[in-house]
Amino acid sequence: MADTLAIVLPRVRPRLGRDEWLMGGSLLVLALYLTVTLLIPLVVMLSKSLEDRHGVFVGLSNFVRYFGNPSLTAAIGNSLWVSALATLIVVTLAFGYAYALTRSCIPFKGFFRLLAMVPLLAPSLLSAIALIYLFGNQGALKSWLFGASIYGPIGIVMGSVFWTFPHALIILITALSTADARLYEASESLGASAWRTFTTVTLPGARYGLISATFVTFTLVITDFGVPKVVGGQFNMLATDIYKQVVGQQNFQMGAVVSLILLLPALLAFFVERWAQSKQTSALSSRAVPYQPKPHATRDLALLGLVSLVGILILGILGMAAFASLAKLWPYNLTLTLHHYDFSTADGGSWASYFNSIRMAFYTAVFGSVVVFAGAYLVEKSRVAKALRTATHMLALIPMAVPGMVLGLAYIFFFNAPGNPLQFLYGSMAILVLVSIAHFYTVSHLTALTALKQLDPEFESVSASLRTPFYRTLWRVTTPMCLPAILDIAIYFFINAMTTVSAVVFLYSPATTLASVAVLNMDDAGDTAAAAAMAMLIVVTAGGVRLLHAWLSHWLHQRTQAWRQR
Amino acid sequence: MSTPYLRIRNLTKRYGHFTALDDVSIDIVKGELICFLGPSGCGKTTLLRAISGLDIQTHGTVEQDGRDISALPPAKRDFGIVFQSYALFQNLTVARNIAYGLENRKQPRAVIQQRVKELLELIGLPDSGNKYPSQLSGGQQQRVALARALAVSPGLLLLDEPLSALDAKVRIHLRDEIKALQRRLGLTTIMITHDQEEAIGMADRIVVMSNGKIEQVGTPFEIYHQPASLFVAEFIGAMNLLPATLVQQGEIQLGQARLTCPVDGFATGTTVRAAVRPEDVVCTGRTNGHANSFEAEVQELEFMGPYFWLSLGGGALGEHRLRAQLPRQQARELDLRLREFTHLHIPAEHIRLFPDGYRHG
Ligand SMILES: Nc1ncnc2c1ncn2[C@@H]1O[C@H](COP(=O)(O)OP(=O)(O)OP(=O)(O)O)[C@@H](O)[C@H]1O
Ligand SMILES: [Mg+2]
Repeated sequence: MADTLAIVLPRVRPRLGRDEWLMGGSLLVLALYLTVTLLIPLVVMLSKSLEDRHGVFVGLSNFVRYFGNPSLTAAIGNSLWVSALATLIVVTLAFGYAYALTRSCIPFKGFFRLLAMVPLLAPSLLSAIALIYLFGNQGALKSWLFGASIYGPIGIVMGSVFWTFPHALIILITALSTADARLYEASESLGASAWRTFTTVTLPGARYGLISATFVTFTLVITDFGVPKVVGGQFNMLATDIYKQVVGQQNFQMGAVVSLILLLPALLAFFVERWAQSKQTSALSSRAVPYQPKPHATRDLALLGLVSLVGILILGILGMAAFASLAKLWPYNLTLTLHHYDFSTADGGSWASYFNSIRMAFYTAVFGSVVVFAGAYLVEKSRVAKALRTATHMLALIPMAVPGMVLGLAYIFFFNAPGNPLQFLYGSMAILVLVSIAHFYTVSHLTALTALKQLDPEFESVSASLRTPFYRTLWRVTTPMCLPAILDIAIYFFINAMTTVSAVVFLYSPATTLASVAVLNMDDAGDTAAAAAMAMLIVVTAGGVRLLHAWLSHWLHQRTQAWRQR
Repeated sequence: MSTPYLRIRNLTKRYGHFTALDDVSIDIVKGELICFLGPSGCGKTTLLRAISGLDIQTHGTVEQDGRDISALPPAKRDFGIVFQSYALFQNLTVARNIAYGLENRKQPRAVIQQRVKELLELIGLPDSGNKYPSQLSGGQQQRVALARALAVSPGLLLLDEPLSALDAKVRIHLRDEIKALQRRLGLTTIMITHDQEEAIGMADRIVVMSNGKIEQVGTPFEIYHQPASLFVAEFIGAMNLLPATLVQQGEIQLGQARLTCPVDGFATGTTVRAAVRPEDVVCTGRTNGHANSFEAEVQELEFMGPYFWLSLGGGALGEHRLRAQLPRQQARELDLRLREFTHLHIPAEHIRLFPDGYRHG
């Protein structure tokens, strides 16, 4: 019956109103934006790996040359084992730390939680610089290494552990806070020992969090460029190889080859992480009862010891960098001075780079949150072009799987290509903002989606029935209700744009030098104290912005308390 | 019937290979309150969303007040809608919520304020204009959602399970209010519900749906007393559905009993299902003076307050079971007891026959 009808009756072709045209049009613009700032550069880079210096297609011969060169392929093994070791240390420490914060009765939990987040405010370079002051040739604690050199795998692992620690910790805290108290009661009532409860209830409960943390940390370490650049010495890693090939030898094709190799672990991590995330959320039943830890003297004391140790290490690294930036002439004259913050005599950085960074981070935060929020709104709430919405969402997920170095290199290939009408962007502030928005798009997009999903899905239907244009409701209802999430996105963009090195290191110009890149260049030029000073400036700025954000969020909460659900 | 206000013809909605609405046609008269009733997933919301343009049908046409609106986007149609979740704008006060649709129409502030005031009085919340939705109870919030939809004076009001998020008492209260308001405004209204009592209590006409199709359209009385299909018979109210054989035109055999009943369109000898409402089964105890009667054993006896639930079997019924509803007074007079036999009488006009075979659920 239905089939015969389908033949008899014409298919209804919905007519589009102004709302539908506007939504569809905006969606198209967004999809184009992501295609131009993300997809096309990546595709261009992919094709570059198959070309020679003159742009002639040479098939896989670049790859053949790469794999035929042991001094290059050594970096693969190096990257893998160093990243694996750092990941093992970070995940173990972070698990203990998260366990202490969520499952024990140690004092000062709030303080320890905050302290562990401090590395997020610093460029990854900072830890490497501090390590040089601590364990380098003139290091304060050089003897602790028993003659081994900090330049190389030891330094890379130590530095990576410092800056990736909070990333793993956040994931593990989430995983451990979703515990169901009923399982613990059941285990206790069955007379299981604490250890048995730990291995049969706690670990399995947190397994997706552990998997997720492992892959995220591994990707962060293997794709990081700052730490190995500063403290890696002659030890080759994939990320530094890209830099060497591109900046050192101007061999862009080989840079593209290494980039593709670096893309593999990142892609793998991306899929594993998505899979673990979906498992994690489905494991959370709505009837779960939150776990309330009970005091347990020996456990709490041991865990307090652990968090204190980690806390001291974090403070030690940060304190070392701060002291290095203030000491007159390490290690001979330790009188405090602000001289290194002058930068006028420093090679590779200046206050101008600092202000460039602030501007860049500000633009990234403002335009980034607008683009991301509007994009997430269109993907989640618009009634039109389902296929385009799905495609846009897919595009928005790509950056998570793309290391910054790779994105930066892809931008060179695309935006600097002769004949590209967008070439005028090359070397401008705009390209730095574009690459930073693209680089940090995914997390922001997912944050915005989560906030939008919490709103009643029928707001748009009601609005249409009242013949109110969608943008009016977006402005008067949706945006105010999502303001806390929008603030979170803005701060995320700001701090990351302020601290990142990897993508922008290929793209800055003399007019747009950046603070984080200045740290790198001043360190390269041997002006380590000035580099430390610039790194500290970044930390202080990011910290200040964080405080401002906390204050704004609080103010917003107060102001909107009248209508927020009790 | 005069020309319908809303003419729905051959509406079909597909999601891939799944057909959520299958060739649905209804006429809705101006000023009536019509309920879509059916089990979960039968396509009620899909039909409502097609009418509103929020999810346009794959095939078929919708005409409102003589205008073909089949393919129009929601903003080009003329309706107000209220959802189960209220969907109130939480960051706006009650008054701003109600004024929301008016503000877009460039009316003077004073006119809007006057209208909001009227509506607040209409829904019985004259002093709540400055509150936020979260400061109101569920029932009050749903009233505000109703006022917001009514503010722009739509020609058609759509309600998707407006009462099912509320608790029983508020629900019955609000049910009466909506009904009274709808009468007063003479507003053509479509309401979805899966609560048959609600549908019977409120609707001028009910559309019973199952599996994306319309089973029956009729007044609550017709739906209850003349169910058009086995599905409707089973879905609305309590119903005995007993296998029987048509032994001759006008007579069926049910177990050992022979009963007369109206028959249309069945050949002699076919197996049918005889539908009898429990309250239409008359118990006569030891006396037997009726036609259409037989004897059976009281196998269960359940006190329900104003009446007893009886489960009858054995005797002429054999394996079959018949449920009956007996007023308390009568049960006392007959002095019915468990395991005793009683005479039963089913008036011929209360037996309806349905083809055997298809059985829902
Ligand atoms: N977007 C969609 N994609 C695929 N199937 C859908 C979609 N929306 C609805 N359906 C299916 O269409 C059928 C009818 O759904 P509908 O929401 O109309 O049911 P309903 O009668 O309103 O049920 P309920 O009483 O549960 O609200 C269901 O089987 C549902 O799974
Ligand atoms: Mg529904």
